[in-house]
Amino acid sequence: MMRSITVVIALALLAACTVAAPPADPWAGMRTEAGTVVWQDEYEFVPPPAPWKLMSLNEDDYSIAFFRGCGDEPPGNFPCESTFAYAEEPFGYSRELKERQREFFRLRRFLWASRVDFDPPSSKKISALGGEALLAETVGHERVLKHKVLAQVVFARRGERVVAFYFTQWRPDDGTFDRSHLEDFRRFVETFRFRKPSFYERLLGYR
Amino acid sequence: MEGHQRNLYLYDRFNARVAGVSRDDVPTLRHWSEEMGLTFPLLANTTGYLGIAFGAQHLGMPIFARRTVVIDMWGKIRYIRDGSPDYREILLLLRGLHEEEGRR
Repeated sequence: MMRSITVVIALALLAACTVAAPPADPWAGMRTEAGTVVWQDEYEFVPPPAPWKLMSLNEDDYSIAFFRGCGDEPPGNFPCESTFAYAEEPFGYSRELKERQREFFRLRRFLWASRVDFDPPSSKKISALGGEALLAETVGHERVLKHKVLAQVVFARRGERVVAFYFTQWRPDDGTFDRSHLEDFRRFVETFRFRKPSFYERLLGYR
Repeated sequence: MEGHQRNLYLYDRFNARVAGVSRDDVPTLRHWSEEMGLTFPLLANTTGYLGIAFGAQHLGMPIFARRTVVIDMWGKIRYIRDGSPDYREILLLLRGLHEEEGRR
């Protein structure tokens, strides 16, 4: 019995030390001299500053994603999550940007589990990944819980295929979106680079 | 199915075609296909004999298990995989088969 108590106390002390220690750099060992981060030897980008956190993903829809939760927002402002992600295989099929945008929202796969009805998206041409891209923005409404979500999607190209960057921010229906979070998303998109040809480019023998 | 639809242009380059097989009836598949925006054929096999032939019809189950089968141009089964399709594995196989076709 005494031994059990001793162990518990020791663990508690260790935990206290962990809290007091300065936060470890989650990108240690991945940083380049240019200030970017190399991810899985495939992508290079400037990661968003804290409180953005890297999300752990167990699905193929997203290749890398970040979020900031309610703990990073003023109290009483629920829902309050913001996320953004790079997706190698965005919903839809077309290799044409405008058509892919139409499919992306028409197929109702994006945020499908949240039962969201999207307003018709607005879109404009921008540059991303060194080429022409399309930035679409819309607001989705979850009418049962009375939540809304700001969604911004950048459709760009990797070789022949369309890839995408997603941003979402949840708020109560009568709340206000914090568009300052979009700045971190924009910077992520602007700095995002590929380190090597994609699987599909290699498949077809492109260099 | 979305992955297959996304890769149709690559299947085309490798001289391959894809078809889905289901125990659902034609109206159900037509509705689903339109909703998903699929353009490749879906075969309604309500009696289930195709699933039995390819080993995807488990005893007592009303639906087929997910199974991907690749048949080469000479009618020989070259690949079987259960569960979600591994699209990259399929593409690498199809590229190999296409190169093989060119050599024969």
